[in-house]
Amino acid sequence: MVRSLRAHIAVSLPVLASAVVLAGCSSSLNSSGGGSSDVGAAVKVGLLVPTSGVYAPLGKDMRQGFQLYLDQHGGKLGGHKVDLQVVDEGGSPDTGVPAAQGLISKSVNAVVGVVNSATALGVKDSFNEAKIPLIDLTGKSASDYVWRTSFSNGEVAGALGPYAAQNCKSAYLIGADYAAGKEATAGFEATYTKAGGKIAGSVYPPFGTTTNYQPYLAKIKQSGAKCTYAFFSGSEAVAFTQQYAQFGLKNSVQLYGSGFLTEGGVLTSTGTAAVGVYTSLFYSNQLDTAVNQAFVKAYTAANKEAPSVFAVDAYDAAQVLDTAFAKGTTGPEVIAGLKSITTVNSPRGPWTFSPGHGPQQAYYLREVKDVNGSLVNAVIKELSTP
Amino acid sequence: MPTWLDNNLVTLIDGVAFGVLLFCLALGLSLVFGVMDLLNLAHGALYLGGAYVAVSVVGPQSGGLLRFGLAALLALLVGGAAGAGLSFAIRPIAGRGHLDQALLTLGVAFVLADLYSEHYGNDVATVAPPTSLAGSVGIAGNSYPVYRLVVIGAGLVLALGAYYVIERTRLGALVRASVVDAPMVRALGVNTTWLITGVFAAGAGLAAFGGVLGAPILSASPGLDSRVLILGLVVVVIGGLGSVSGALTGALLIGQVETLGVSLLPTYASFLTFGTMALVLLLRPAGLFSKATV
Repeated sequence: MVRSLRAHIAVSLPVLASAVVLAGCSSSLNSSGGGSSDVGAAVKVGLLVPTSGVYAPLGKDMRQGFQLYLDQHGGKLGGHKVDLQVVDEGGSPDTGVPAAQGLISKSVNAVVGVVNSATALGVKDSFNEAKIPLIDLTGKSASDYVWRTSFSNGEVAGALGPYAAQNCKSAYLIGADYAAGKEATAGFEATYTKAGGKIAGSVYPPFGTTTNYQPYLAKIKQSGAKCTYAFFSGSEAVAFTQQYAQFGLKNSVQLYGSGFLTEGGVLTSTGTAAVGVYTSLFYSNQLDTAVNQAFVKAYTAANKEAPSVFAVDAYDAAQVLDTAFAKGTTGPEVIAGLKSITTVNSPRGPWTFSPGHGPQQAYYLREVKDVNGSLVNAVIKELSTP
Repeated sequence: MPTWLDNNLVTLIDGVAFGVLLFCLALGLSLVFGVMDLLNLAHGALYLGGAYVAVSVVGPQSGGLLRFGLAALLALLVGGAAGAGLSFAIRPIAGRGHLDQALLTLGVAFVLADLYSEHYGNDVATVAPPTSLAGSVGIAGNSYPVYRLVVIGAGLVLALGAYYVIERTRLGALVRASVVDAPMVRALGVNTTWLITGVFAAGAGLAAFGGVLGAPILSASPGLDSRVLILGLVVVVIGGLGSVSGALTGALLIGQVETLGVSLLPTYASFLTFGTMALVLLLRPAGLFSKATV
């Protein structure tokens, strides 16, 4: 009770200070408490991730990743105690947009989250107008106040193209029929055909309503393609990869995909049907680096499961905010702080912000392997960035 | 055209398997709507409940046939009990029109969906087919999962059984009579309350049974309930109310539309099912096999 009252008084300071004229006042208040690490008013950070709907499993990983960073740093970012407000994004923009507006009206210092790219598009301008930084965890929307720690679907898929072209000259493209599926297959097609591959055909099953992939699998088989590139995530990825094996394509037509096809809980649900699938992504919890191994160990100890790429996205978001909040807590100060970041030392490997506010990062070729009874995305090699 | 048939034989067969699953779902929906004039929007949640029974009893590791049968029996009982309970819950508002009924059953569907999600989590839960049926067989040069062939067999047995009960027994005659004119059946001294509860329980049990049967194919995950409910409603609209043959025809037709249709016209995949429904509504507004006058 007392703590929350204190926190309430404390957070009201940077809120007042968010008016540009008071910006200087804020920093003087922040530094008035003395030299210890206890100084600094609390910052309000909104974590806008789905806790219900189709993407709820992703939201859980993101929450755990963000929380791990906070726990490792005494609940503080940039020396400020964090008042974390977890808000449910839901499965679609009609729940996500109002949730984002709610956080904006509470004058949070920054928001981390937004899984659905349609929601991201709907709230982008609101964050710019309110001058509240949004660290976007998926999608590709970028503007002054929207920064990403994740990826763009086209780049993830494009990284795989040249490698696939070396091993198979004729590919069939299949992707869920919405923005992400189209971006991914287009990204793959561009680099794959440039490297000499031929497209045998393409098909886009309706997003969110397809449960039976048999008719599409029959088309792939008839086309005579030597390999398939697929973009699916969540429950659709599970259904697709399982049926790909059930209908006997697994052994005759090599399956390639964006990493989400075999990431995190999806891989566990899919089971052995996923063994041998090649995917590209900027992370695998099998990465053999000291930073990643320490991260995997801490995450597994805290959550009783291995981290997914989504946990890393949120972990890195906390990491960049840690640096940015050290420079100041108002919108423009946080943005200046983000701009000052040179290298982020992430479990995925070191990366930097590109001019488009997204990460400039390495991509890895991964193969699903059965290691002592548990399925992992083994890292085969680093792919050249498209 | 032998090559056309060779290419599409597997797709045709798969359409039958999918249609049979839809039949399990749609028969209950059709009878309940027909007999009680009640729109049960919790039907999809009952199907998903059956699928989760399979998750609990069988799980992702292949087990024996007996274990799978146990899951099916359990789902039938649990579903039946839930259906009977639902029919009692609905009785006070039975005369208040479709909107109130839809609100109540939709509310029940939401509550059930949240309970499932609370207990089973939001990840996809998979169910392995019984070990003896887990393999694939070659059909016209393509491999096809044995389990789906078994689903076809089980569904056809079910359809014949339902047809016999509804069309050839006294009980079935009462149900059919209630579809056409319920007040007249009451006037003849039949306790329609029990008839209604029985039909409701049977329909719900069948939906849950379909959930077990379909679990190795469609898995179990949040959101599946509304997807199958919509398909079930489409089948009922196409087949007409309260008839076994209508539900079977509608289900097999939508099964083919969802597989063969999608295979031939993938660009129109999301439109085909509803396009078919619209066409049937234009030509036969009461459904292909309806005996009721609308």
